[in-house]
Amino acid sequence: MTTWILKLAQRLLLLAALAVVGGLMCATMVRFAPGFGVDERELDPRLSQASLQAIRQEHQLGKGLLAYYGSYLSGLVRGDFGTSAFLERPVGELLKERAPFTIRAVLLGLLTAWVTASALALLTVRFPSWMLDSSATAFTGFLIALPAAVVALLCVFLRLPVFVGIALVTVPKLFRYQHNILAQASAQPFVLAAQARGVSRNRILFRHVIPVSWHPLAALLGVSASLAFGAAIPLEALSDSPGVGQLAWQAALNRDLPLLTSITLFVTLLTVAINSFASATHQERS
Amino acid sequence: MSGPRLLRVVCYSVLSAVFAAGLFAEVITHYSYASQFREVPNAAPSAMHLLGTDSLGRDLFTRVVYGTRVSLLLAPAAALLATAIAGILGGIAGLRGGWTERTILAFADLSLALPLLFVLVALRALLPLDVSPILSVIATFLTLGLLGWPSSLRVVWAAARRLRESDHFLFATALGYSKTRLLLRQVIPNLRPILFALFWISIPLFVLTEATLSMLGLGVMEPLPSWGNLLRGCEDFSAMAANPWRLVPLFVLIVTVICFQYILPTSGESA
Amino acid sequence: MRQRSWRFCLLLFSLCFVLLGRTQTPSGGELHFCLHGEPKTFNPILVDDEASENVRYLTGGVLIRVNRQTQTLEPSLAESWKVSNDGRKITFHLRKSLQFSDGTPFTSEDVAYTMRLLMDPQTHSATGDAFRSGEGSVNVQTPSADVAVVTFPAPLAGLERLFDQVAILSAKSPKKEMSVLGPYYVSEYKAGSYILLRRNPNYWKRDAQGNRLPYIETVRLDIQRNRDIELMRFRRGELQLINRLDAEQFDRLQKDNAAAARNAGVGLDAEEMWFNQVPSSPLSDYKKKWFQTADFRRALSMSINRADLARIVYFGYATPAYGPVSPSNHFWFNSSLTVPKYDPQGALALLARAGFHFDNGTLKDSAGNRVEFTLITNSGNTAREKMATMIQQDLAQIGVNLKLVMLDFPSLIERITRTFDYDACLLGLVNTDLDPNGQMTVWLSSGEDHQWNPNQKSPATPWEAEIDQLMREQAALANEQLRKAKFDRVQQIVAEQQPFIYLVNKNALSAVSADVTGAAPVALNPQAFWNIDTLRLGAAGQLGANK
Repeated sequence: MTTWILKLAQRLLLLAALAVVGGLMCATMVRFAPGFGVDERELDPRLSQASLQAIRQEHQLGKGLLAYYGSYLSGLVRGDFGTSAFLERPVGELLKERAPFTIRAVLLGLLTAWVTASALALLTVRFPSWMLDSSATAFTGFLIALPAAVVALLCVFLRLPVFVGIALVTVPKLFRYQHNILAQASAQPFVLAAQARGVSRNRILFRHVIPVSWHPLAALLGVSASLAFGAAIPLEALSDSPGVGQLAWQAALNRDLPLLTSITLFVTLLTVAINSFASATHQERS
Repeated sequence: MSGPRLLRVVCYSVLSAVFAAGLFAEVITHYSYASQFREVPNAAPSAMHLLGTDSLGRDLFTRVVYGTRVSLLLAPAAALLATAIAGILGGIAGLRGGWTERTILAFADLSLALPLLFVLVALRALLPLDVSPILSVIATFLTLGLLGWPSSLRVVWAAARRLRESDHFLFATALGYSKTRLLLRQVIPNLRPILFALFWISIPLFVLTEATLSMLGLGVMEPLPSWGNLLRGCEDFSAMAANPWRLVPLFVLIVTVICFQYILPTSGESA
Repeated sequence: MRQRSWRFCLLLFSLCFVLLGRTQTPSGGELHFCLHGEPKTFNPILVDDEASENVRYLTGGVLIRVNRQTQTLEPSLAESWKVSNDGRKITFHLRKSLQFSDGTPFTSEDVAYTMRLLMDPQTHSATGDAFRSGEGSVNVQTPSADVAVVTFPAPLAGLERLFDQVAILSAKSPKKEMSVLGPYYVSEYKAGSYILLRRNPNYWKRDAQGNRLPYIETVRLDIQRNRDIELMRFRRGELQLINRLDAEQFDRLQKDNAAAARNAGVGLDAEEMWFNQVPSSPLSDYKKKWFQTADFRRALSMSINRADLARIVYFGYATPAYGPVSPSNHFWFNSSLTVPKYDPQGALALLARAGFHFDNGTLKDSAGNRVEFTLITNSGNTAREKMATMIQQDLAQIGVNLKLVMLDFPSLIERITRTFDYDACLLGLVNTDLDPNGQMTVWLSSGEDHQWNPNQKSPATPWEAEIDQLMREQAALANEQLRKAKFDRVQQIVAEQQPFIYLVNKNALSAVSADVTGAAPVALNPQAFWNIDTLRLGAAGQLGANK
């Protein structure tokens, strides 16, 4: 029991450490990218020399990058994620305002994607025919071929909420993976044996194929979650929705160091957590 | 010919036609992709301009054909680079195990979490201004290749791990074969199908990433056309009803990606 | 029995309601339009971006208002004012018995407080910096509750117009900057989403019949960056107004809803390009030599077909520009300047004179270097990208190989203000002020915004020295005609030397739905809602009242 808890604690610590490293790597990148420390306001002809200097000072990192690391880490311990350089509000507040929207969109999108992809996968495995297969491939191929920008515009034009866009982007890959898993399971010897015995196709599907495929399908949860989350950011940014994605895009465009660091920290945490959960279930099976 | 075979043949022919169009652009169209016919901007298709003209009066058909050259001939290069990196790193991670595995996986996850668009924006801005459009295209696709490997890595890693735990590999190791022999006789032949599949899948993905970049205005240098910056003409849907020919680049992109999907080896792909 | 009486009461009640409604002034409704960015602050002193400025216009009360339609000054919170002869002192006579939106009384104390905050060097307010005419501090005296006297250390040209940007803050209200004197106050704010403004119950203005203004009850401002989405929503009737419309969108709207598409004529905004003339830049010497040669700049300016730019990129909703002042700025525009023609042959002749030679379709300088350089502009602005592409073709005709690089805005600003690692740049100027005095830092050679060669210790060329002198002289004069004469000469020098190559003046385009009565879009910002307090919702016939 205690070893299990220790292992879990070790895992969580590793996750947290990785997330912090991710955030700080992002900070370094932003600091050294061209255009750091520059503000649009500098082009305003009304500003006096003193004001210009003040604006430039605001965006410098003060005592340098290492000192920034230190102050950020000490802030983290206290639960303070810094203040956005461009929106001039605490990062924690900004994220709290926008996270619910993104989380809702991602969860709804995932749900829709799973329902659609599963239905399609079950259909194509239950009624194996190349026509159905080709149509499914054509449909998913069509969805994959749409660039994120076009999907975002479609959602806006058809007045669909963002989660539909997320679902559209996630369905093709999810369907493919699910189809492969189910197809592999259907090719197993015991399934063939059941077919030979004359068991009905429906029964084979629900009693033999699906139960065997639970584990890999569950592992897919992780993959689909990171897919959905990855799609959320550009989709939100392009369709102007008040979520974290748009915030991240604006932060990137403005070189908003504190905001980008914290967002990257959370995204890393999420990605690494999902992936390690997926690989943990994988390991448990093997 | 059976249904599936016919479909594959059709897809192969379509793809070959598209590739050929890109390669032999000068033969197919005598216009330059940059010349602006300023008297006829946004024109409808006519005998003079098969697909009409874009907002600056440039022949759209010519631009689609030359755009094919840029997008379809350089995306495979980026895909090759990304797959190679994913192959090497994923292979090492899967075969070695232990801390090497954990470090490489962590590194891949970190790279996935970094804001990709930001990195692309920053890298684009770092390029010296004086590069020729061709060099900028190559640089864009190189960057995509260098940044595109993390998502493929886990697939290679999973395959490499399965290989390491498989009976025949254990047997070969037990027999005391040299590392080189193991690599050449066991690893590469077994990982090759996965890498091949990844390579094929990445090609349309990179075409799309370049398209999204172009729609954000950061892709290929003007006046070079690419499918991405041709798609920018699709931004207004209400105009599409009036000028449906503007959707041709999107249509070509969709058809190409669907064809890729059909001819891709689908088995062996798992999470 | 009970049912009947209940129904009767309901009838009576609704009858009362209807009658009550009839006797009230025709008003109410919600005006719905968009801001193109997130407002960074609600504090009027710190405003420095378009979205915040628009919110300030809708909520702030100012002493003197520039009427956007007539371009003249009108009394607002100040009933009258007087500028002293030396141009250093301005005395305001304020309206009496006014209150802020939360009931706090408005007195000269508030004016003093606002000016103090504004001019505080620690605040670094752009609006405040416009008032800095010289060394020394600004003094505000309040001899009585409705008189305020502001004294500046040195005379300030165009002093009165600057007060249009100063929204008065309350010195005493616990709500600080959220307590306002303008037609609306901020009632709700959901970051990233929308701002809801409600009618200020204490707004001082009334209409000719004595009714309280504004007519419209609430204003909903959505935060929408994507212009295509905004247009889509307008077409669907979700929005009643689009403040600044792109030419391409205007063209589309014009085709199926001509009544909604309003063209207010030539606006103040210009697009221009310039060459990097900074002597210490990392460019190669021969390039620096090209860019510093006036004939080179003039020749390239002559080879750009501005009429095509206006016709194709702006669908005809722009006019070729040749100078810093737009013709819609009636007073300051120098109409005696000769308009140069589009003349590639003449350009080649000029270049030949400067030592360049044109052979085989390539232009080479006297040392044999091919004339090729890069033009940078910001990505995401399709009109600018199209103009750059067209300029590329135009210059190809005289043998110049122009390369285009679209950069994201921070990288672009870094190159033009810090590293100076660029050849030429194409950007647009957004003019909010008619008076050129606001652009001192652009014209003075020591200025930060003297884009082609900023922050000079001493003028690099005789013509820049002449411009410096002219600008300083006009700043010290009070007589507007004399100032105009000096600035006319500046415009002439700019036309001869072409440090900025002006391309087009864009039209002021907006969209107003048929639901809105009283809108009269103009060239000055805010174009479509400058008269927000007299706008009404509902078709004109319905309301009966005219205007």
